[in-house]
Amino acid sequence: MENTKVIVGLGTCGIAAGANKVFNQLKLVKETENLDFKLKKTSCIGMCYREPLVEVIDKSGSYFYGNVDEKKAKEIIEEHIKKAKPIKDYVVYTDLFDTPEDDFVQGQVKITLRDCGYIDPESIEEYEERKGYRAMKKIAGQRISRLDVIQTILKSGLRGRGGGGFPTGLKWKFANDNKSDEKFIICNADEGDPGAFMDRSVLEGDPHAVIEGMIIGAYAIEATSGVIYCRAEYPLAIKRLNIAIRQAREKGYLGKNILGLNGFNLDLYIKEGAGAFVCGEETALIASIEGERGMPRKRPPFPAASGLWKKPTNINNVETFANIPWIILNGAEEYAKYGTEKSKGTKVFALAGKIKRSGLVEVPMGMSIRDVIFKLGGGIKDGKKFKAVQMGGPSGGCIPEHLADTIVDYDSVNATGAIMGSGGMVVMDETTCMIDIAKFFLDFTQKESCGKCTFCRIGTKRMLEILTRITEGKGEEDDIEKLEELSYQIKDNSLCGLGQTAPNPVLTTIRYFRDEYEAHIFDKKCPAKVCKALLTYEVDPEKCTGCTVCAKNCPSNAIDGARKETHFIRQEDCINCGMCYTKCKFDAINIS
Amino acid sequence: MSEKINIRLDDKTVEGIRGETILELAKRNNIEIPTLCNDPRIEPYTSCFICVVEVEGFRGLQPSCSTKISEGMTIHTNNERIKKARKTALDLLLSNHYADCVGPCKQACPAGVDVQGYISLIDKGMYNEAVALIKETNPLPAICGRVCVRPCEADCRRNLLDEETGVGIDYMKRFAADYDLESESKFKPQIKDSTGKKVAVIGAGPGGLSAAFFLQKEGHQVDIYEAAPKAGGWLRYGIPEYRLPNDLLQKEVDNITEMGVNIFFNKKLGDNLEFADIKADYDAGILAIGSQIGTLIGCEGDDAENVHPGIYFLKEMEVSGKHYDFKGKRVAVIGGGNTAMDCCRTAKRCGAEEVFVIYRRTEKEMPANPIEIHESKLEGVEYMFLTNPRKVNKDEEGKVKSISCLKMKLGEPDASGRRRPIPIDGSDFDLQIDFILAAIGQKTNVNFLKNLNKNYSGEELKTNRWGDIDANSETLQTGIKSIFAAGDGVTGPATLIEAIAQAKIASNSCNQFLLGQEIVPPKKEFLSKKDNFKKQVPEDYLGHFEKQMRDEMPTLDPSNRSNFEEVELGYNSEDVAKHEAQRCLECGCNEYFTCDLKKYSTEYNAEQNKFSGEFNEYQVDFRHPYIEIDNNKCVLCSRCIRICHEVVGANALGLVNRGYETYVAPSFGNSLSDTPCESCGLCISTCPTGAITENVIFKPGPVKLNQAETICNYCSIGCDISLNYKKDFVMKVTGNEGLINNDGNLCKYPKFGYHYLNDVSRITKPLLKVNGRFEEISFKKAYEIIAEKIKNVEPDDNVFFTGARLSNEEMYLVQKLARNGAKTNNVTSFHYLNRGNGYIGNSIENVPFEQIKDANKIYLIGAEINKDNAVAGFMINNARQKNNIPIELISTDKNSSMKHKVDEAIFIKSYYYFIKAVNYYLIANHFENALFIKDNCSDFEEYKKKVLKENFVELVKLSGVKYMDNIIEFAKEFNNQMNAIIVFSEKEISSNASFELFNLAMITGKLGKTSSGLISLKEKNNSQGLFDMGICPTLGVGSQAILDKPLQRKMKKLWHTRNLPKTVNVSQYESLEKGILKNIFIFGEDPMGCALNKVQVAGWLSIVDYVVVQDYFLTETAQMADLVLPASFPIETGGNYTNTQRVIQKFEKHFDKKVKKSSYKQMIDILKKLGSREESKSIEGVMSEAMSLLPINNIGKKFKFNYTSNNNNNRIFNHGCDYINKRFDEEFEQAF
Repeated sequence: MENTKVIVGLGTCGIAAGANKVFNQLKLVKETENLDFKLKKTSCIGMCYREPLVEVIDKSGSYFYGNVDEKKAKEIIEEHIKKAKPIKDYVVYTDLFDTPEDDFVQGQVKITLRDCGYIDPESIEEYEERKGYRAMKKIAGQRISRLDVIQTILKSGLRGRGGGGFPTGLKWKFANDNKSDEKFIICNADEGDPGAFMDRSVLEGDPHAVIEGMIIGAYAIEATSGVIYCRAEYPLAIKRLNIAIRQAREKGYLGKNILGLNGFNLDLYIKEGAGAFVCGEETALIASIEGERGMPRKRPPFPAASGLWKKPTNINNVETFANIPWIILNGAEEYAKYGTEKSKGTKVFALAGKIKRSGLVEVPMGMSIRDVIFKLGGGIKDGKKFKAVQMGGPSGGCIPEHLADTIVDYDSVNATGAIMGSGGMVVMDETTCMIDIAKFFLDFTQKESCGKCTFCRIGTKRMLEILTRITEGKGEEDDIEKLEELSYQIKDNSLCGLGQTAPNPVLTTIRYFRDEYEAHIFDKKCPAKVCKALLTYEVDPEKCTGCTVCAKNCPSNAIDGARKETHFIRQEDCINCGMCYTKCKFDAINIS
Repeated sequence: MSEKINIRLDDKTVEGIRGETILELAKRNNIEIPTLCNDPRIEPYTSCFICVVEVEGFRGLQPSCSTKISEGMTIHTNNERIKKARKTALDLLLSNHYADCVGPCKQACPAGVDVQGYISLIDKGMYNEAVALIKETNPLPAICGRVCVRPCEADCRRNLLDEETGVGIDYMKRFAADYDLESESKFKPQIKDSTGKKVAVIGAGPGGLSAAFFLQKEGHQVDIYEAAPKAGGWLRYGIPEYRLPNDLLQKEVDNITEMGVNIFFNKKLGDNLEFADIKADYDAGILAIGSQIGTLIGCEGDDAENVHPGIYFLKEMEVSGKHYDFKGKRVAVIGGGNTAMDCCRTAKRCGAEEVFVIYRRTEKEMPANPIEIHESKLEGVEYMFLTNPRKVNKDEEGKVKSISCLKMKLGEPDASGRRRPIPIDGSDFDLQIDFILAAIGQKTNVNFLKNLNKNYSGEELKTNRWGDIDANSETLQTGIKSIFAAGDGVTGPATLIEAIAQAKIASNSCNQFLLGQEIVPPKKEFLSKKDNFKKQVPEDYLGHFEKQMRDEMPTLDPSNRSNFEEVELGYNSEDVAKHEAQRCLECGCNEYFTCDLKKYSTEYNAEQNKFSGEFNEYQVDFRHPYIEIDNNKCVLCSRCIRICHEVVGANALGLVNRGYETYVAPSFGNSLSDTPCESCGLCISTCPTGAITENVIFKPGPVKLNQAETICNYCSIGCDISLNYKKDFVMKVTGNEGLINNDGNLCKYPKFGYHYLNDVSRITKPLLKVNGRFEEISFKKAYEIIAEKIKNVEPDDNVFFTGARLSNEEMYLVQKLARNGAKTNNVTSFHYLNRGNGYIGNSIENVPFEQIKDANKIYLIGAEINKDNAVAGFMINNARQKNNIPIELISTDKNSSMKHKVDEAIFIKSYYYFIKAVNYYLIANHFENALFIKDNCSDFEEYKKKVLKENFVELVKLSGVKYMDNIIEFAKEFNNQMNAIIVFSEKEISSNASFELFNLAMITGKLGKTSSGLISLKEKNNSQGLFDMGICPTLGVGSQAILDKPLQRKMKKLWHTRNLPKTVNVSQYESLEKGILKNIFIFGEDPMGCALNKVQVAGWLSIVDYVVVQDYFLTETAQMADLVLPASFPIETGGNYTNTQRVIQKFEKHFDKKVKKSSYKQMIDILKKLGSREESKSIEGVMSEAMSLLPINNIGKKFKFNYTSNNNNNRIFNHGCDYINKRFDEEFEQAF
């Protein structure tokens, strides 16, 4: 038993699902019964839909238990730990026998997430055990020149994982070309897309990987200090980053003459952002670090020439940095083995929405969206029909079912009108109204606009008003044209990515679901039965039992009917709230 | 060297300068790219996206304000894609621009008369100008002021307050027009040079008269042909005299004929006027024939005798000159319009026993003016509403006997929006009646058509389906290209103001025709309207304005109206008109003429309703006394915020909220007056709309203003400003791109300190104190008194004080007055009184302001620049923001207002000892720049010897620095800086400290170097002139020693005299203190008002025998004078000032002088009186006389080290001893 390790996933997803309770239960039993297995913490392994997850590693191998609660935890101790009898029914994944999550795990290639869910993120030693800081040591030991480091990254084909997809090596090269006595390296950890949590998982699960990536980057461009711009809504990430930075300083990975490299000095600071979406845009991010209102400015000059405090600055996002040590250690060629011609390596996606397995996956570029959703994600929940997937968050677009064979690489996804973005995939089924979805994302960008550019400030507001009007059944004949016209103008005439991409969700839904728009506008109908103002609720006399539940719950008293008699909805009083539909136990409310 | 690159700009190859933006390149190449968020004074920002252009090879459009050019770039600035983007940007901005460009009054007026503008002029008593403004669109204001139906007043927002009484717009118009008619300076329109073209106008009614007015103004010869024997049309023949007296009408007609318009009477087209003749003699024609045919009731029996169309009844009396006799008769008037009113009230005046108005709807639906209905009731007219005549019953003789009527009720609204009357069955009744006047409509008489059309082949004048003349609705051109039509003849019977509006359009088109231009309607200007967002309700206005009920028009007592005397009597005084003017809510935007948003919206045909949706509504912020913020008009360009940060350094404004909710607000949401705001008004100057404007105390209109360029006469920077004025009233001051303020920046003094120019309490005549009270006397008498006073005492018993605000010319004359008139050298200024002579050299070898931006470091030593010389402060702050030049403050004031704008600060107790200690340290440690000193300076060794005798520790102690190291560090750093500038102000620094600063600049070898050395700031616009013009007992013109032989010789020759004063009394201060002076002459200073110690100054002035003061206003000093002379404003004479950097700045005369004799003429007159040989000279002549006394040159003269043993006195007056400065300083302080 003393060699048995029990590892509890304590990422934000795990904690939210109750992992702390499970951990405490395990700890309690271990201490009260004085059991000598090792109890450890780790972070999210990606199987968020199975949290709380507990991994038991014994002589025979590793077993992941899913949906563990306090009761199951006790059973695991009793059966597996004490008696060395794994509870097969609870195991969701193991190499040793077939499990329900085989597809999910086996389809993935983990580079970015190589340590997530395996190490204690608060332990630098565990990171070091899994080849942590070896990349930097390799550079120092072999005296690899800055230019060679940049060359390696260039050759690896790594492109910016924040969404822009700009070649990272090239970005570093530009920053390196601009000479200055002071330069900065910034990690953009301002992940803000609704439904996206890749960066958070990496920061919570493997902070040192990001730090090591930054150190290598700083070395390559001769940066003198670094800033991690992380949103304050990620307290766990910030806590673990702080611990990691302290540990790295203590171990000499940060500080003066790092790893014996004379003159290579670097320290890192965390700047907590207030959660403004626009601060993910690099010029606004820089303004925010400088203490100004987070608003973008015109580029050029790019940060590589004039960034933080007007000094040359390189900004990459979390995922990009996390890839760096792996590439240095394993070589550019090894990395470039994965992916397509123009998009190398892997990409982490956050699966969300109407999908069976919502969580984090890392797949090689080139896999089809269909495979990601159906093979890894397990398909659509509740046996519904797959309709579309939203990629790239508020800046992205909806890819319809008929384009599901599109492969994940920057250019293929762009061709659909969506973008790769930071990796959010929101899956939608037949019950999703595409206008409602467009409205949701536009509402987000409209509220997150900084207010600087005319088109973004007022244009998105007007678009939202038109969408709202359409969903309320007040759509006008030329609304689609108006939306398109405004969309193109906004894309053309905004300073930053927020405005330039804000209309994408609208444009792609118009492109692929024009009929749904027309149904709303001309027929005053919502085919997905989502837009309440466009629905009529009627009692199905066949099914109605006269139980009166609907009438009792109707907020506008619009339902008549005596007990045990068929009820009737007075349409003139109905406010389309849907309460009767929700409350009816006999499925006797028809929506049309 | 700037690098040149090649650019393709709008299909032309042009030369660009590397580093410049597309916007700058386009501007240099005279291509105007519209922009709202760009201001060359501040860094590009890029938010409005109006300035977008297309750059080949770039994705999307590029904002030209922040896109830098690069070699080979191909740029298009104005294609369809760009225009569309610009229009959309404007559409979007306008969809959230809850504001009115013009008030509803102007919008409602068919002729678009600028009501708010003329109310503003009436507010200032400019009645002729008000009439001039009205006559731009309406040539008949006196008539209109009486009989207009006043749609303006109906729409006036005052109706939402004050019990639905709109502003008395028409009453005021009538007042101004009547005033103008009787005025000696009656408005006469400017008539353009003759074009040689002739126009025939048919009809001398309001349409024809107006068309004639507009066309004659354009230089065409207009002849009017009128069928009637007199002019006026229905104004004369329809409107009764009690409303519009004929002689008044004739006066306005005369105004038009006085322009050269001929009227031929009794000429009726198709009757005794052949159109062939017209065609032969004229280049174009305007048909303003009116609607001449009256209609009857249209019911059975209306052919009875004594049934008349109302207009014939009215016309008949005018033609015959006889009134009907209705004595004892019952008269029915059918209809509810203004003709019905004229008929019923006239019928009463003709003696009718009873008059009934029969109208089929209710009073609410009556089209007549409410005031007419009201007056008619007062006069005893009875109303039968909801009544419709059905039949006229005749007696045997065929005369009307009675009328049968039906009662009606109101049904659904009809096409006109009024509820349709429906007969009530069986409600018939009969009314006994003797006369019936039908006032239910008129028709146009077009019986001349044939006669006309036969002259044209291929063209035809047609009628429309109502029988009126058919003309293009936008241009009023008829089917015959050379003929235009206007008025009732086109529209059918309508109102006076509509006829005028049509005449304007028709004559505009006709003018285009005559000039061979394309005939197009005037371009529709874009107007933002609050009504586009929501209907205005009382709640929007209640509580924001004071209640003030309308000044009603006095009328003839109703018991006194059995005649045709005018009923409305007109406002009986200017006060009433001006008081009524105060009721105007100024709905229209103050920036109507200057708003860029409006300009571009017009240019790009932007639409406010294209993207209408939710809009933001804000309360206007009036909390700052000079600056008002109207966020409703803001386009979020942030120019105000940025100029406040980058130029002013105050950071008083910021953005609040995000996205659509963003707005500009003073920091922390406070009132702007509670922020570090310096009230410079640069935010106003940069705002592209009317969102930040001047919070003015008068009605600004807005009206078109004239610009008078001049030099600011507050501080010594010498900024170029424009006084924006109407007549002689200054309404606004703006900055010009001047020699000194080359980006047009201004501070609060010129921006807001102009109200004194409008002050009517100015002195205009000499005042003599008699028994303690001032009496006006003639200039001649005043000169006699002055000459006598001077002659009766010894020359040196006189002393002449000269204000630092005077022009060089005036200063020169004052010293001449002393030296050649009174024969004394006692000429000085209170401004520099008893302050030593250390200031004399302050302006020598100053670093020019434009070199500030190239310094390595700037030291402010005793210079509260943001308060006293703010424009210099702007240059310094801008250099800090833009070029990162560090600023260090050395101040004795721990709360210095500069504290937050500098990088370092040292607080000390004495500037003098601080500088002296620095000098000691540098010399004692042999840090002096020996080479510089050897080549350029004299007396160093002596200075060194004396300084080194002093005690360093003691000097440090007296300086009040915290640590001795402060001084040592300062000394070392300043010495080692390549380009370091010390900025100091005479207001804070004593004259001996000035000497020591000069010594410091010499020791460190920095004096007179590029971007290195000293900048001295003086208190007044012409403080430097005092030294240059010899306002000093010891110095003559050009600061030459007064007793120098060559100067004396020149003066004697120039002044034709052998007798010049030989003695010099150095200290006038001592003379004042001892009380040995007899006469004091003070030109433009207010020592009493500005004294730090008033008792002392009062003592000086009371002990002397005679005090003469010349000033604009009765200052505290003037009140103590025995004789006061009026002074002219600089803008009334022109002249020169010398700024603190010795730049001589000329300014022109722009205003007529308000005083009979300008200041300098008075000085010449007094000189003459004292026997000096003076020719009458222009201001330029005075200047050239002064210049001829200047020394040949100063080349090769070395800078002199001046040792001072201790600190000396500082100033004894505030405000530069100037009343104008004092007045504004006090006003400013009280305002907060």
